[in-house]
Amino acid sequence: MSGPAKKVWLANMERKAPEAAELWDAITELQLEHWELQWRPELFKALERLKQAGIPRKAWPQSRHWDWRAKAQAFEGMLALPGYSVMCAGVTQGLMILDVASQRCRIESQRGKDLVYVKFVENAPWNRAELLYDPPRYRGVGSILIRAAIERSLREGFKGRVGLHALPQSDDFYGKTCGMTDMGNDPDPEFQGMRYFEMTFEQSEVFIAKGKRP
Amino acid sequence: MYYTPSFRLIFYTLSVYKVPMSEKRTMTLNLTDAEMRVLEELSNKKDLSKTAVLRQALRLYQLVEARIEKGEKFFFEDDKTKEKAEVMML
Repeated sequence: MSGPAKKVWLANMERKAPEAAELWDAITELQLEHWELQWRPELFKALERLKQAGIPRKAWPQSRHWDWRAKAQAFEGMLALPGYSVMCAGVTQGLMILDVASQRCRIESQRGKDLVYVKFVENAPWNRAELLYDPPRYRGVGSILIRAAIERSLREGFKGRVGLHALPQSDDFYGKTCGMTDMGNDPDPEFQGMRYFEMTFEQSEVFIAKGKRP
Repeated sequence: MYYTPSFRLIFYTLSVYKVPMSEKRTMTLNLTDAEMRVLEELSNKKDLSKTAVLRQALRLYQLVEARIEKGEKFFFEDDKTKEKAEVMML
């Protein structure tokens, strides 16, 4: 980790109370162990539940195939691809890998300018309502990670500009909760029709102000 | 008179120096007029500081090198014609 963990807060939905958490600017062996030993078994159970509930396979989260160990190893030491994680109650609650070098803005007003691109982001299975956790254990992990991407963008001199391709189940989160501009389906076959979302400086300010509201 | 522009650069340090990654180290970079002009043009075009431009250049260079070392090729593709041109890395 490049610096001390940042204190953040998650909403504990079982206790209906805020709970102190940490934002790490790293993905270490500890987080990868949690992914292997806690996330994966929980995800298999959740997929079994989706199957029992008759939810069609195409509606299952596409991230179910992600291998965070392979991703972390592939990007280890790469200055362009920093990792982040959210820790709460001693367990990894969210993981994210950014690309801070190779992507450019698409919105006309900022076209061609550098931005922070969210390459991969995932919430722990027990925090996801779409996996039929009722209630999900923690809320706020996604917002904390998007906030971290905005802060990284500000620190790099990119003025809060952030972009990402969303998995279908997350379209509403990025469009409505985060207030990003929905640029529609990306025609590039690499993205399999995923929608591309982008955040301007002004949108990043609104998002940050929303997080400060009591 | 021959003039070599220079300015102060701040980079994230490498872990081999055994100091935390967030600590920054300062170096002086000497550039030719032509190099400085390009740096200034990129800095203006990208709305980034010169330090930020050089950081981006370093990150991209490392990214490209890592993929080429793995045996991959570096292409540019024309968005309209889909024509690909390989960038030769020597």
